[in-house]
Amino acid sequence: MSQTQSRFQTASGAADGQPPALELVDASRVFTRRGGLFRKAGTPVRAVDGVSLAIHPGETLGLVGESGSGKSTLGRLALRLVDPSSGRLLVDGRDVTEVPKAAMQAMRRDIQMVFQDPYGSLDPRVTIGQSIAEPLKVHGLWDPKGGPHKVAGVMSLVGLDPSHADRYPHQFSGGQRQRIGIARALTLDPKILVLDEPVSALDVSIQAQIINLLQRIQRERGLSYLFIAHDLAVVRHVSHRIAVMYLGTVVELAARDTLYRRPLHPYTVSLLSAVPIADLRMRKRRRTSVTMGEIGSATNVPSGCRFHPRCYRARLVAAGGDVPTERSGDALLPRACLMEQPALRPCGDQTGTGAGDQVACHFPETPETRSEVAAAVLQDIGYPPIRPISPQSV
Amino acid sequence: MSATAAVSAPPRRSSLMRYFRHPGFLIGTILLAAMLVIAVAAPWIAPWSPLDTDLANTLAAPSGQHLLGTDQYGRDVLSRLIWGTRISLQVAVAVMALSLTLGMVIGAVAGFFGGWVERITVSIIDILLAFPGFLLALALVAARGSSLESVIVAVALAYTPRVAAVMRAVVLTIKPRTYVEASRAIGMGNLRLLFLHVVPNSLPPVIVVATIGAATAILAEAGLSFLGLGVQPPAPTWGNVIADGQSFLASNPMISLSAGLCIALMVVALNLLGDGLRDTLDPQMRRSSGKLL
Amino acid sequence: MANPNPHPGLSVAPPPPVAPVPVPRPVALELRDLTTVFPGDDGPITVIDGISLAVRAGGTLAVVGESGSGKSMTFLSALGLVASPGRVQRGEVRIGGADVLGQTPEQLRRLRGAVVSMIFQDPLTALNPVFTIGEQIVEVLRAHGHFSRAAARTRAVELLARVQIPDPARRIDDYPHQLSGGQRQRVLIAMAIALSPKVLIADEPTTALDVTVQAQILDLLAELQADTGMALVLITHDLGLVARYADDVAVMYAGRLVEVGSIEEVFSDPRHPYTRALFRSIPRLDGPVDEELPAIEGQPPNVARLPPGCAFEPRCTLGRGRADCCTKRPLPLAGDRSGHRSACFHADRLDQMEAAQ
Repeated sequence: MSQTQSRFQTASGAADGQPPALELVDASRVFTRRGGLFRKAGTPVRAVDGVSLAIHPGETLGLVGESGSGKSTLGRLALRLVDPSSGRLLVDGRDVTEVPKAAMQAMRRDIQMVFQDPYGSLDPRVTIGQSIAEPLKVHGLWDPKGGPHKVAGVMSLVGLDPSHADRYPHQFSGGQRQRIGIARALTLDPKILVLDEPVSALDVSIQAQIINLLQRIQRERGLSYLFIAHDLAVVRHVSHRIAVMYLGTVVELAARDTLYRRPLHPYTVSLLSAVPIADLRMRKRRRTSVTMGEIGSATNVPSGCRFHPRCYRARLVAAGGDVPTERSGDALLPRACLMEQPALRPCGDQTGTGAGDQVACHFPETPETRSEVAAAVLQDIGYPPIRPISPQSV
Repeated sequence: MSATAAVSAPPRRSSLMRYFRHPGFLIGTILLAAMLVIAVAAPWIAPWSPLDTDLANTLAAPSGQHLLGTDQYGRDVLSRLIWGTRISLQVAVAVMALSLTLGMVIGAVAGFFGGWVERITVSIIDILLAFPGFLLALALVAARGSSLESVIVAVALAYTPRVAAVMRAVVLTIKPRTYVEASRAIGMGNLRLLFLHVVPNSLPPVIVVATIGAATAILAEAGLSFLGLGVQPPAPTWGNVIADGQSFLASNPMISLSAGLCIALMVVALNLLGDGLRDTLDPQMRRSSGKLL
Repeated sequence: MANPNPHPGLSVAPPPPVAPVPVPRPVALELRDLTTVFPGDDGPITVIDGISLAVRAGGTLAVVGESGSGKSMTFLSALGLVASPGRVQRGEVRIGGADVLGQTPEQLRRLRGAVVSMIFQDPLTALNPVFTIGEQIVEVLRAHGHFSRAAARTRAVELLARVQIPDPARRIDDYPHQLSGGQRQRVLIAMAIALSPKVLIADEPTTALDVTVQAQILDLLAELQADTGMALVLITHDLGLVARYADDVAVMYAGRLVEVGSIEEVFSDPRHPYTRALFRSIPRLDGPVDEELPAIEGQPPNVARLPPGCAFEPRCTLGRGRADCCTKRPLPLAGDRSGHRSACFHADRLDQMEAAQ
């Protein structure tokens, strides 16, 4: 598995010339509520705003962010469950942005989705066997002889007893229902799975089962995953690369190993500082936490860098006095953070696993410029401060 | 890695029994079944013909020969009521079928597709709902002429907006469910999604409304017949019997009263059935009683 | 609408007030042998079974377990909030030394909110959308206390300030939908502490919130606790939160307690196979990544059909198939919190048994 990994973590991400399994180019989605006779039109919500991402064959791209960051909308854009307002969507190198709904059928066979809610995602009146067979029927691939065999096959693949095919969803526990959802997504032999918080609704003892199952299926079938989650520890366990989203934009895109050891964006640092750690060490020490209020609203996006109202680093940099500053409310901030939206650009050590890491920040936390806040957070989560990163530090 | 061992629920218990544990449902069903038997068996159990007049024996008091007496033409009231059951049930079933079909299609399409289809449909439904249903039926019968078919069509049309409004509201609650989105994600088209997943899950509340609508239909038929706009005399309907008896309320109250009682019984039976269905089909109820199973 | 904190930036949170208590503080809430049953088709179903727990003033007890393990039901039972047809079958609930289970519904109502209060997982549904948050806090104050309308409002502003709602004098007239999820949970905390209760029961208070907000809410609870000396019961499934905020831990499985002890005891030397397996199965920020997680196999059991022996036996790698584990029910944990207790027959030999595998 480590070989596959390193292949995807080269700068272009496609060293062997294969096109990405899925690619979003500058994709945006704006939601507007139409006005009516007695109703004002709503303010447009920029749920996803100019996101470019590629997922390579066999790779898991983790997508993290708070609720309201647009990560779920992004997952739905990948399936065209919602259509992009602008930008392009490529599957296997083919542009499918303009493909009419009817012709989307074939594409839908390649991309399937697993939902967060194992209780709501199954029709309560349909047996699980029928649910799992439904994708085949919808795509005209059902044949009465091979069909049931195929259903039994995916059921045992996900660890369900095929003899339970005629039972109803309410007869299963949450973890088993999530297996049913995964089986349903696998019947069409897709190449890509969009996993929208697939384990967050499950009990702790069941989460590990499902994570292991997803990883085993990926190994056996060479699937690509877009793994959407808010739990940074789970994302670290399953992802090869990770994209951090904030208010509709990707603020950091990095290889798994570097993201946790060398977070570049202050928002990533803040997220890491908030992860609860099941370890007594954390009690004995003072713990650095970055207090930062709550995520803003996508209806009213802050000017410049969207993160500036919550950013500790902007305040530290402004206090350092080396950059032009401006007052915003009662805070002194670098002018750049207030005026100019930073673009996602390569940053940090671009060799080894860190090659291809990108950040959208005017003052990223590189190992050379790392603030004490970031150093303390890294120490808290078990990565002692190191500069530059040395290989024996784990 | 096999988590298959224990599926955590027993096989489904007989769901029919669940219904009959509800007293309202039980009583309603028994009453309706009895009326159905009476309607079907009318030719054999009615002691007299409902139309044969006996001018020598008009307005007779209840007796061994005429259990409920006779009307002003000497017709046996009991026999007319027994035959009237047929017409009332016919009206109830036909109205229910018609308004259910029409209302469900309109409501489902409006709720599911949204957009301008929904806005236009909802406006029309709102206007029709603001209009007293009985008046609407009255107007329709006046336009089409009075007959059994006219009554059925009129009452069904008057009731359709109610079914449509409920259907639309239910579809709106089903539409955002994850399993609807999950079906889209596997590539399912709109029509298939609508008929395979949305409509079946919307049925329970709509069936309840339709049951109560059937009761309304029976009342409306009786009312129209009473006004002379329904099924034309001398056909034996409960409304006609009441109309016939109204002039003799003081001397022979049995005629109108017995017909009124029949109507009341049928309406109560249908309403009880509706209540029972609502209580049993309501997922909230089911969840709380089956929480631990 | 979410009003960003006006003072974002760095703070170094002090570690929560740590356990070493010089003088044992009084027990604020004690449950003894609490057992609740629901009627089932084949006789009553025991949803919580012989729960004995204690939490001391100023202390934090974390109750950990999966959904259906009975962790919420335990405290609903303690407060007389079990929904019909369920009922508390036996046991004692001692608050400040007196058994409250036998009290009338009216006495219990007076107790709730004033002496013991509770906050729930979903801050949106717990607030009434048609009243302002101020009206709802005033309502709590006036229902129990002797506040005039004006005094109650002043106190409500103080409470909002206490839970760090910015600009409380203005926000008091906001409706719940005008607040973010984290602020709603703060409002609920304000309502819960309005009458300075002795015990605050927080049932998954941050499960519906983002991880960044979660830390803020729990730090706030820890701070309020340090100020007021109230006892805190934290019902959660997140072992990370337990490690950071709790003094004592109770682990529940299938309606029974399986392990109780101080945080140090349970985390450094777990004595029940379920606790051990749970710790291993969660992905960690510093754990290995390229191997399978040691998952607990099987499903949580249905409390209506528990195996005759230990409830965890079918999923237990150590005890599965052992004669004693299959047939004999381990004794429920009883008594005070003076020791580290486990409901496993083999609690003292787990290390050897694991090594032998």
